[in-house]
Amino acid sequence: MSQPPMTETRSGMDRFGAITFDRTFKGLTGIAVRGFLLSLVTFGIYRFWYITELRRYFWNRTVVDGSPAEYTGTGKELFLGFLVAIAILIPVYVLIFVATISAPWLAAFGSVLSFLILFVLGQFALYRGRRYRASRTLWRGIRLGQDGSAITYALMAIGWSLLTLLTLGLAFPFMRASLERYRINHTLIGSSRMESTARGRSLLIPWLAFYVVVLLPIAGALLAFLVAADFTIPDDLFIPKEGGKPGETEFNSDYEDTPIATFGALLLSTLGITIPLGLLLIPFYRARETRLFMNAASLGPVRLISTLKARQFYWPYLVYLLSVIGFVLILGLVIGGAGLLLQARGMESGFHWAIVFGMVFGYLGGALFFAVLYVRVITARLWAAVATTTSVENAGGLDAVLASSRRVGSGLNEGLADALDVGGALEVGF
Amino acid sequence: MPALRVQGTYYDGLSARAHPVTLVLEDSLEITGRDLRLAWPLPDLAAGDTAPPFMRLGPAGHAARVEFTDEALAAALKDRCPDLYRTDPSASAGRLRLVLWSIAAGISVILLAICGVPAIAVRLAPVIPAAIEARLGGAVDGQIGKILGDPPVCDNAPARAVLDRLIERMTADAGLPVGPAITVRRHAIANALTLPGGRVVVLSDLIEQSRTPDEFAGVLAHEFGHVAAHDPMRALLAASGSSFLLSLVLGDLTGSTIIIAVGQAALSAGYSREAENAADSYSVGVMRRSGGDATALATILERIAKDDGKDDDKAEFASLLRSHPFTKERANRIRAMAGTETVGRRILDETEWATLKGICRNVPATSAK
Repeated sequence: MSQPPMTETRSGMDRFGAITFDRTFKGLTGIAVRGFLLSLVTFGIYRFWYITELRRYFWNRTVVDGSPAEYTGTGKELFLGFLVAIAILIPVYVLIFVATISAPWLAAFGSVLSFLILFVLGQFALYRGRRYRASRTLWRGIRLGQDGSAITYALMAIGWSLLTLLTLGLAFPFMRASLERYRINHTLIGSSRMESTARGRSLLIPWLAFYVVVLLPIAGALLAFLVAADFTIPDDLFIPKEGGKPGETEFNSDYEDTPIATFGALLLSTLGITIPLGLLLIPFYRARETRLFMNAASLGPVRLISTLKARQFYWPYLVYLLSVIGFVLILGLVIGGAGLLLQARGMESGFHWAIVFGMVFGYLGGALFFAVLYVRVITARLWAAVATTTSVENAGGLDAVLASSRRVGSGLNEGLADALDVGGALEVGF
Repeated sequence: MPALRVQGTYYDGLSARAHPVTLVLEDSLEITGRDLRLAWPLPDLAAGDTAPPFMRLGPAGHAARVEFTDEALAAALKDRCPDLYRTDPSASAGRLRLVLWSIAAGISVILLAICGVPAIAVRLAPVIPAAIEARLGGAVDGQIGKILGDPPVCDNAPARAVLDRLIERMTADAGLPVGPAITVRRHAIANALTLPGGRVVVLSDLIEQSRTPDEFAGVLAHEFGHVAAHDPMRALLAASGSSFLLSLVLGDLTGSTIIIAVGQAALSAGYSREAENAADSYSVGVMRRSGGDATALATILERIAKDDGKDDDKAEFASLLRSHPFTKERANRIRAMAGTETVGRRILDETEWATLKGICRNVPATSAK
């Protein structure tokens, strides 16, 4: 990646520009450890500066066509945005609370109402957060930007979400593509507008994989179970457990070895197998979607080409999962050993203080370990995977991009996203 | 020393066009390319935020910049430009100040949550409209039921009639803001909880642990004292206000902390010493007026406290009572206030008390007990 930009051939419009990313992740662990610890002692206030530092790290090391990107946002802007968002959110929360208390008929819908309001606000915040990040990004001295209306975006998101619900999820890829088109079509590099031709139907096949792997087997098993039960589930299938707490039930032994029991067990084991399989499909879908969206994005004659493979998304998750399992195993051994020691030495030995201390220390240590691991393994590797598999076609066309004279948006845009906890510090693929 | 000559790229800040240039470090930084000849004075130069080996610099305040990857030139510029990193956002000088201020701000919010919010709640609780308080009480009642595992309601009709008459006698001109609604639930914990809206939940073990009707009535009168002082509403306001405030700082605005805190506040009823003493005084007053033994409250408090931690069965009940840790002191206060003239009086006669003790007859005994 340290290749000087000058050695590339600069002739012609139709050359390819590479996007590179420093895969050694040098210095990233230090940033993550410091960011986590300082966030801890500052009651979380430091997180805005931590996020800024992480972004500068990732932006600076992402080199597009020989020139690294530049992030000019500051922690102070994010913090001020957060304060303003709080000032907006407190009345919203109080209003929801008062409305559900003072109007009894509303109380039943209270949680639905607050979910809806927060969902719309969350989408609004996501769009505004992206606008902030775009306006703080420079490349070759040219500032990026985003226009369009966050309200339109939020309304689109909620409309599509309702449609997705009504169509049992079939509309999901169309929603993703539609929102991606809105985002990209309102993204500006200098004064040049980007364009996306993302289509939901090209995402349909990876999306339908979920139906084949998860929904169809469950539907089949459910149907078999219903046929076996003659479409009536007996009322006494579960009876109150003898000697158990109220509300505790157990399986009625009268139904052992009947088709109901057999197909019921089949249904449960189908659920047990297909739901983890469905989770395993998520990186596959995400990789496909990212590649498709990248390939659909263009700026005049300049196009993005992505060769992202699903396995590049699986690998980070696998490493992370194995680390979690390893950590839990070690923790189990330590706790088991401590328990045995405690039994042998007795409660009075003062040893239990050592255990309390060890637990607090272990908890903080574990939290630190996973926070750092997440940044290094998931965030950084996914970012690197997306960046390095993308290249720029007709990169010569980028020379025509001119700076824009529009006003730079304020830093208040992203606070709401943080306050609502929807703004990821780093979004892969920007 | 020969002047450093390095290949770089110049961007004018107006377009994304890359201009290949040669950089020469002399008395100024000389930039030469096709149709391009610039000399930037070294004191003006400011470096951008880049990862090595990339280096980006330009005159401070201007959009024009050059980018290059030569480390020797970067080092030479660092030596010769006095203010190269004036805009460096990674400078750690401000960090300590930021951290210290953040800690101070966090502590201030926590102090506000611990001391300020309860003070506001004291003034707010009496002015909450009764209808809203009643509705909140209903919500908390449901939650308490869930936490305790939905214990069945005891309302054996004759016993309930005795209880209702007793309550009527005790609450006559007792200055309560609302008529209290008492429910008895079968539970193996000897306790009574007051919820917003004048709801009092009596757990049946309290009646079983009471040796005289006056002990039970004393506890009941104590709970009425909490109703009179709006203590449950105050505790609810204080707990939800504090946790809301804390969740703001910790960045959790989804409200999950609040929901948990409401349940906890109602269960552990962490009233202050003053609130407990006021409720005790109130109990003594009620017991005197309604013809009961005003010292009985002290007796049952001490008995329950003595059981605390004796065996594992009682561990649960001990933890519930831990918000009343100053039992001995309270008992002495109650006895001093009550004097001796009411000792030995009975608020109910033997047959009424026997009937009341059977209030859970309508609920079949669980085998777990």
